[in-house]
Amino acid sequence: MKKIGFFLGCNIPFNRPDIEYSARYLLNELGVEVVELEGATCCPAFGTMPSLDLVGWAAASAWNLAIAEEKGVEVITGCGSCYGSLNEARYHMEKHPEIKEQVNIILAKVGKEYKGTTKVWNFINFLYEEVGLDTLKSKIKNNLNGLKCAVQTGCHNLWPSRAYPTNEDNTFFPKRLREICEAMGGVAPNYSTITDCCAMGALRSTASEKSLALFKKKLDVIKEEIDPDVAVTGCSSCLLQFDAGQALLVEQKKLNYKIPALHIAQLTAIAMGADVEKATAMASIPLNGVITKIKGGN
Amino acid sequence: MEEGGVNVIDLTQGDESFVRELIALGADELRECIQCGKCAATCPMALAGLEFFIKRIVHAANLGLRDVLLEDSSVWGCQSCNRCVEICPMDIKPYEVIQAVRRAAMKVESCPANTYEGLRNLYRFGHAVFPKGFEERRKKVGLPEKPPTALSFDELRKKYQEVLKQTILEEIAPFPLD
Repeated sequence: MKKIGFFLGCNIPFNRPDIEYSARYLLNELGVEVVELEGATCCPAFGTMPSLDLVGWAAASAWNLAIAEEKGVEVITGCGSCYGSLNEARYHMEKHPEIKEQVNIILAKVGKEYKGTTKVWNFINFLYEEVGLDTLKSKIKNNLNGLKCAVQTGCHNLWPSRAYPTNEDNTFFPKRLREICEAMGGVAPNYSTITDCCAMGALRSTASEKSLALFKKKLDVIKEEIDPDVAVTGCSSCLLQFDAGQALLVEQKKLNYKIPALHIAQLTAIAMGADVEKATAMASIPLNGVITKIKGGN
Repeated sequence: MEEGGVNVIDLTQGDESFVRELIALGADELRECIQCGKCAATCPMALAGLEFFIKRIVHAANLGLRDVLLEDSSVWGCQSCNRCVEICPMDIKPYEVIQAVRRAAMKVESCPANTYEGLRNLYRFGHAVFPKGFEERRKKVGLPEKPPTALSFDELRKKYQEVLKQTILEEIAPFPLD
């Protein structure tokens, strides 16, 4: 693929622009032109339009998808919610032509049309399928040097599988992110709670303590079973929980260890030689050990 | 529900018209639920200890327990993770029951305050999540202060607002759409 539309969403450009920097860097290194989706908005997030009405949700997503269609590009996003919301809206419109019809009546009033011709990727599937592990390997400047990764694919990157154009062979035993980390020279063992939710998102906003307690259970299992150097997420919301959420648990004295965390776009960009300061600028949990290991130290 | 007490459902509270409302709002396979509990075994809300997780929500929905569902905030804690949709043996799409309950709740303004905040941000800025201080964070990584989204293009943002105004948001937003 020579070019792709970069769907930013909200959390990446506003809370974690270090992921945006990393994503732009890695796409550039892969020779993929980043096409700006000017005027794009929130996907929309599940707690907004999708919680109001199906047609309203579809119309808000179709606004974004239509921008990509006008530019003749497929779309990539680093946020699981964006990946889910856009793909699910697309699925609903494909399955129910009457919804698509109503959406197009709405869009026509602002001179737009949703055709249904674009495709929405996440970074995991893009790297795994579109780029391919061999090409990815050939672009690595800093081998991960045995870095032990605990992968967190993210709920929306897996389910509902019927809404996604491509997916894992078994969504309850995801392997793609592990294989990506390993292709770059890392080690990415399986662990028993690998598909468990990070508890960020609506749960964190509605029941913060319960959300963090559930997240801690997952962290404890990761620590006990594989004791990784880093957690690697496929979703920006998971990263917020693994990084800032984990830092909060430490601050509240509910956690007595720290597992540094990176989004897969950040880890890949660093492996491809990105500016480490920029690629990790917003991290709450220090990544010094991770960077030292990647650069060849212990 | 009383702590440690026995849960007795008062079936006289059941309202059949509420069941029909939920079905019309997207829970179209609601009646097919057999309460097998597979959804509960994977639901993050259940694992986190929310009293009202997916299986119970679907049960209450099927009984038409309007007040129970609209007074409890659990549906707003749903992660939209769709594990329940993936594994439901009856394919009732339990998550769509959650969405239907939320849609019914929005109509009677029974939702957490942050839901309105998200909607207001979505309408005003084109972004539901719109935290302060992003300009500095973006500058730190060498990116322009504003991303090239609707935030940077007034005319496109107005067009997006025109799109939202033609949706149900126009009827239920507790803030002016202008």
